[in-house]
Amino acid sequence: MTARRARNFAFSGIVLIAAMIWIFPLYWSLTTSLRSENRIVSNAGVLIDELNFASYIEVLSTSKLPIWYLNSVATSSITTAIVLVTGMMCAYALSQLQFPGRKALYLLVVASFMVPVPALYVAQFILMSDLGLVNTWWGIILPQLIVPVVVIVYKQFFDAIPKEMREAVLLDGGGEFTLLFKLYLPLNWGITAALAIITFISTWNNFFWPFLIVTSESMMTIPVGITQVNDAFGVAYARMMALALLAAAPVIIGYLIFQKRVTEAVMISAGVKG
Amino acid sequence: MKATGVHLKAVKKSFGAVDVIRGVDMDVERGHFAVFVGPSGCGKSTLLRMIAGLEETSDGEIFIGDRDVTHEDPADRGVAMVFQSYALYPHLSVYENMAFSLRLAKRPKAEIDDKVREAAGILQLADHLEKKPAQLSGGQRQRVAIGRAIVRAPDVFLFDEPLSNLDAELRVQMRLELARLHQKLGATMIYVTHDQVEAMTLADTIFVLQGGHVQQSGAPLDLYDDPSNRFVAGFIGSPSMNFFSASVDDHTGDGIDVRLSGQPDMTLNLPVSKPPTKGASIVLGMRPEHLVVTKGEGLRVTVDVAEELGGVSYQHGTLESGDPVIFQQAGVRHGMHGTVQTVMPEPGRVFVFDIDGERIR
Repeated sequence: MTARRARNFAFSGIVLIAAMIWIFPLYWSLTTSLRSENRIVSNAGVLIDELNFASYIEVLSTSKLPIWYLNSVATSSITTAIVLVTGMMCAYALSQLQFPGRKALYLLVVASFMVPVPALYVAQFILMSDLGLVNTWWGIILPQLIVPVVVIVYKQFFDAIPKEMREAVLLDGGGEFTLLFKLYLPLNWGITAALAIITFISTWNNFFWPFLIVTSESMMTIPVGITQVNDAFGVAYARMMALALLAAAPVIIGYLIFQKRVTEAVMISAGVKG
Repeated sequence: MKATGVHLKAVKKSFGAVDVIRGVDMDVERGHFAVFVGPSGCGKSTLLRMIAGLEETSDGEIFIGDRDVTHEDPADRGVAMVFQSYALYPHLSVYENMAFSLRLAKRPKAEIDDKVREAAGILQLADHLEKKPAQLSGGQRQRVAIGRAIVRAPDVFLFDEPLSNLDAELRVQMRLELARLHQKLGATMIYVTHDQVEAMTLADTIFVLQGGHVQQSGAPLDLYDDPSNRFVAGFIGSPSMNFFSASVDDHTGDGIDVRLSGQPDMTLNLPVSKPPTKGASIVLGMRPEHLVVTKGEGLRVTVDVAEELGGVSYQHGTLESGDPVIFQQAGVRHGMHGTVQTVMPEPGRVFVFDIDGERIR
């Protein structure tokens, strides 16, 4: 074995160990969720030794999980759709239209990165409360619509499209809407998918804002709902893990389907966030 | 296809404080193939883009036919443009690229299909209609770009250095295809290039631009035979015209005796109707193909590089004054490299320019 192969082998070993450390909590959640409560507290081993779905059945039948799913899917989807459409249009204007104050507006978008979201919670809560949107989907959605990274990423991609293509559309009789929806958007389906995925995941995983704005159990999203189950049933490890896995399932499945796009999205947004 | 002329009246364009087009008057007759030619930065592309409506006109008027289109949107001017970079829509098939403008205009499907297939037939693209631009060669992409222009049946075709991205062989082939297309469609075409061979071979009328002005316009051979200034004389013709500094030695009955700098033993008698004053510095222009090797008196050239092209050869060298010189020899393998040759201009083939570059006739 040459020195290079030995090095590769050692490196692969280290990566494998790191991956196992990373995945262990997930694996542990799965094994715990498939055990009875008695077995969990009686010093069970690491390997799967029981396939008990009682916790899943109990959670699905006694909690409001299906409604929380619906709330999470609806608020995340609506947020994603609005963020993408508004972000794309804003980016198009900043990238392609000439108007006074364009640069200042772009700087404002970039500067909004520097405001920590939690600093706005109190103001946003008061605003939502005044608007009568506490305990509603729109109360969850509206404050989450400010995603400057979408504008910045779209703008960078729009800037990269050759000027001649824009001019060709103008000569062909197209206007700004034709340009945006028949040229700029179709040329950026990849980045649109990537941005949709990261926006959806971050909205789905958002805990604190929905926790603040929703008090009614029937309006909760999944991450908020999980905490309620904990309260109602006391510490029941199997149920907690079953819930956590059910909550994460759509994201995990989504990740497995769109793995490549998610990786792309993370890389792009990491590049922007620096 | 309806052909319409293009007329520019005192057209100007400034970018901030920089004047790019400084008052251009121009008439491109209907059905003519006009070529704007000039070095980089002379304003030729800007002028074309102003005709297209892609650049606003700072002053003056642009007419297409009888219509004043100076302030009209690009799509309303009845022009179609072919870009250097092709500017094809990469996400659409060849068919959809060509159909794009008609779809925007909400034309009936059957009409769109007819026009696209007709253009594809003219441009030999019928087998490629379902392909994406990325699957085509450079020449095919340029044909699609031309096809996109044809389906719109514009009054005027505008070409912005359309062959620059192609390799030499394809460029020659496409040049011929464009000439044939012009004959077939009979449409008015305006073509921008920095390549004077393209200009000479394609144009009915050449407009030579420099510094935002039209230096001279006319039929290619008129510009070649009778340039109005040193810039045009140097720009039209390949290889470029030789220029030698000289001074007026004496006035004769029908012209002037001229003495070349650095070669005081030789005088040339040149016919001019408005002779400059005695002793005035002037510039003589002689084309490489008009310098003939002679055994007698003439310009002594030390040949340092010989370009043997087969049918002709170009001998590059210097005069005793240090002025560079090129002369052309018919045939092959002259073996002049490293020798001193004596050349004389053919009678009547010497152009005289004043020190500012204006032609003295």
